[in-house]
Amino acid sequence: MKKYFKTSGLAVLAAAAFLTACDPEIDAPEISKGDADFTRYVAIGNSLTAGFGDGGLYRESQLNSFPNILAGQFKLAGGGEFTQPLFSEDQKNGSGYLKLTGFTAGGSPIITRIPADAERPNTPALPGGKALTKYTDPVNNLGVPGMSVKGSATPLFGAINPYFERLLEPNEVGTKSYQQVIGESNPTFFTCWLGNIDVLTYATSGGVASPANPFSGITDQPTFNAVYNSMITNLVKNGAKGVVATIPNVTLIPFFTTVTVPLVRAAANNAPLYITTDTGVREADSNDLILLTTQAAIGRPDNVGGNTIPHGFHPANALTDAEVLDKAEVGEIKDATIAFNNIIISAANANNLAIFDVNAFFQSIQPVDGKAVLVVNTVNYTPAFISGNLFSLDGVHLTPRGYALVANEFIKVINTKYNAKIPTVNVNAYNAVLFP
Amino acid sequence: MKRKLLTFLGCALLSGMVQAGGFQVNLQGQKQIGMGHTGTGLALDEASVFFNPGAMSHLRQNGFQLGASAIISKIAYLETAPGNTTAKSDNPTGTPFAAYGVFGKEESNLRFGLGVYTPFGSSVKWGEEWIGRYGLNELSLQAIFIQPTVSYKIGDKIGIGAGVVYSTGGVNLQRSIPVQDQQGNDGHAELDGNASGWGYNAGIYFKPSDKFSVGLTYRSKVEMKVDDGDATFRVASSLASRFPNTSFEATLPLPSNITLGLGFMPSEDLTIAVDVQRVNWSAYDKLRFDYGAAVNGSTFTESARNYEDVFIYRLGAEYKVTDAFALRAGGYYDNTPVQEGYLTPETPDANAIGISGGLGYAISENFQIDASFLYISKEERTDLSNLSGGIGGTYKTNVYIPGLAVSYKF
Repeated sequence: MKKYFKTSGLAVLAAAAFLTACDPEIDAPEISKGDADFTRYVAIGNSLTAGFGDGGLYRESQLNSFPNILAGQFKLAGGGEFTQPLFSEDQKNGSGYLKLTGFTAGGSPIITRIPADAERPNTPALPGGKALTKYTDPVNNLGVPGMSVKGSATPLFGAINPYFERLLEPNEVGTKSYQQVIGESNPTFFTCWLGNIDVLTYATSGGVASPANPFSGITDQPTFNAVYNSMITNLVKNGAKGVVATIPNVTLIPFFTTVTVPLVRAAANNAPLYITTDTGVREADSNDLILLTTQAAIGRPDNVGGNTIPHGFHPANALTDAEVLDKAEVGEIKDATIAFNNIIISAANANNLAIFDVNAFFQSIQPVDGKAVLVVNTVNYTPAFISGNLFSLDGVHLTPRGYALVANEFIKVINTKYNAKIPTVNVNAYNAVLFP
Repeated sequence: MKRKLLTFLGCALLSGMVQAGGFQVNLQGQKQIGMGHTGTGLALDEASVFFNPGAMSHLRQNGFQLGASAIISKIAYLETAPGNTTAKSDNPTGTPFAAYGVFGKEESNLRFGLGVYTPFGSSVKWGEEWIGRYGLNELSLQAIFIQPTVSYKIGDKIGIGAGVVYSTGGVNLQRSIPVQDQQGNDGHAELDGNASGWGYNAGIYFKPSDKFSVGLTYRSKVEMKVDDGDATFRVASSLASRFPNTSFEATLPLPSNITLGLGFMPSEDLTIAVDVQRVNWSAYDKLRFDYGAAVNGSTFTESARNYEDVFIYRLGAEYKVTDAFALRAGGYYDNTPVQEGYLTPETPDANAIGISGGLGYAISENFQIDASFLYISKEERTDLSNLSGGIGGTYKTNVYIPGLAVSYKF
C-alpha cells in the first residue's frame, strides 16, 4: 500500500512536470530601436510634458507623465536613465491638486483642492505663483507647466514661472532662458510638445489678456515661427532624432465643452443667457464657450442696483468677458492654432522629424452619435469631463490613463518614422478619474 | 462509498468545464474519448444513451457506468501589436462527468436508459489584474443534461431510440468595471444565475453485417434560460446608485447537433469508427443580459457573437489485446465556430486538433475500468475582437484531459 502511494506520488510529480512543460507559449514580439537612438532622451514641453494633471503637479502625476512612460519603453530598446524633477515623498502633493470628493444632488461633481506641500517657505511669490522646492540636478524631463514658445525665449521667464524657477540655480533665475536650457540638453532623442500655452493662457482666461502680463495674450506668429524654428535647429544640431507634437484646438477639450450654452439654458427653463464681449453685452449662443470654472457662478444671486439678479440671466448681470470664450475669441484661437500647427509641422518636415498630430488625434476621437470612437480593451475614451476617462479634473490636462494613451500614440509615430519596434504600454495599468 | 460518490458528484456539479469548439464538451464516454470521441455508429456501451439512443437497443447486457474527466487547460495571451502585454489564464480544473444506465429484459426488443452528463460548459479565469479585465475576469458555464431514453430494436439490424433532455445548470460571469475608487480599485460586476431548459436526443442505428455499422443522431437545441439571476455590483460609493444590485435574465442557446457515425469491424479484435458531426452554432448570435433595473443608465447589455455552424471530423479505433484488455486511440479536427472579429476571452476559440488514447480492463465478467487521455491543441489565433466587444490579441490554448470510468454489467 505504502509503495503504491509512493509510486502514484511520483506519477503525479511527473505528470505535473509534463503539464508545465507543455504550457502554451506565444512568441514575444521583437523589440528594436530602429534608426533611433534612445541613449539620452529629453522631453521638451509644458504642463502636458511635465505630467501636470488634476490642476496641479504632484509626485504621482509626475510619475505618470507621458515622457516617463515613454522612457520606460525606450529602455527596452537601449534607452538610458530618465530623470524627472520629482517632488519628494515628503512633499508628494507638490503644487497641490484637485480631488473629486462627491456629487451634488443634481449630479454635478464636487471638486476639492488638496493643498500644496512643496511651496518654499520665506520666499516671495513669483508672478506665476508661489515658489516651489528646487530641483537643480540635471533632468531629462524638461516639461515646465506654463511654458510657452514665447516665454521660452526670454531669461525673464525664470523669474516669473515657479515651475521653471525651481529647475534653475539661484544665479540662473532671470538670466537663463528655457531655450538656453534646451541648448545644453544634448539629446540623442527628444519629444517636443510646446506651443499650447501660446493660445491656452488666453483661452482659459476667457480671451482676456492682462496688460500686466506680456505672456497672457496669443503669441504673434512671427515670434512663434522664429523661436520654434531656432529651437528645433538647436535640438537637432548633434544629429538627434525626435518627435514634435501639435496643439489640440480648444474646442476639443472639456474645459471649454462641458458647460454649454444649451445645457445652461435648458437647466433654467430656456431663459436667455447673456455674456459680455469686446463689443458689449449680448445673448449667448451655442458657439460661445463657457469655461468649466464659470459653472459655479452661473445663476449666482447678485445684487445689482438693489435688485437680486441671477448671474448671466439678465443683460445687467451678464457673464463677464473672462468667464466666457465668445465665438469671436474662439475664432481667433482657432486661427492661431492652425497657424502654429503649420509652423510646427513645417519645422518638423524641414528637419525630417516625426510628427504626432495631437490636434488630428483629438479630432478623431470625438464621439459620433454619442458613441465613443476610441475603445481600448472594451473601455470607452471620449473628451467628456470625468466620464470620458481621458481628461483629469481640471478639464485641460490628462489622467494617467490619458497620458498612457498619448504615450502609445507617440510610440506608434516613432515606430513608423524610425522603423523601430517599441512596444506600447498597457493603458489599463494606469488610473483614470478616481471616484470617492 | 455512497457518501464518497455523492461528494464526488457534488464537486463535479460545482466545478466548471472547459470549452472545446465554442463551449461544447466532447467528453461523454471514456471508451469513446479514447477513440477520438467517436461512437455514433457503434453500440459500444451504456454511453450510447448520449452517442446514439438507437444503438442502445443493440447492447447485449444491462449495465451502468460512471465516468469523469479532469480538464486541465491553459491559455496564453499576447496583446495586439505593437503592445506586448501578456497574460495566462488560471482556469480551475474542470471535472465533467457522465453517468449512464441501460436496462431491459433479455428477450425484449425494448431497452430503457438514463443518462446524466455534461455536454456543454466552460470555465475560464483570467483574474482581476490582466489587461482585459474590463472584458472578463472569469466565467463559468455549466449544463448538466438528464436524459431518460427508450430504444427499440427492429429486427436484428436496426435500432431506433429517443430521449427527452432536461438541462440544468448555471452561469457565473465576473468582470471589472472601468470606474475606480480613491485607492484605484476597479469596480466589479458579478452575474450569477441558475438556468434550465428542455430538448431531446434521437438516433437510429443500422448494422447490416458483422463488419459494418452506421448511426445517425440528432440532438436538439436547448435554450438555457436564466430567469431571476443576481446581478451584483461593487463600485466607488459615490456611484453606487448608478450600479444598483438587481436581477437579470439571459438565454444561452446550446446548439443542436447532427452526427453521422460509421463503424468497421475488420476482425473480432479491431473496431474502427468515423464520425462527422455538424454543430449548429449559428443559434448563438448574441449574448444579452436584461437587468431588472437600469445599470449605469442602461437596462441591458448586448454583444454580438454570430457563431457559425461547424463540422467536427473524428476517427478512432479499439484493439482488443486480450479478451480483458483493450487499447484505444483516436483523434479529431474541430473547426471553430467563432468568426474573425468575434474572438472573446470567455471563449478564445480556434480550430483544434484532439489526440486521444485509452485503455480498458475487465477486472471480472461484470466490472470494467476504462481510462482515457485527451490532448487538445488549439491553433494560435490573433484577432482584433472588434465585433464582439472582446479583448483583441493572440490566444493559444492547450488542454490535457485524463479520464476514468467504472462500469458494471449484469
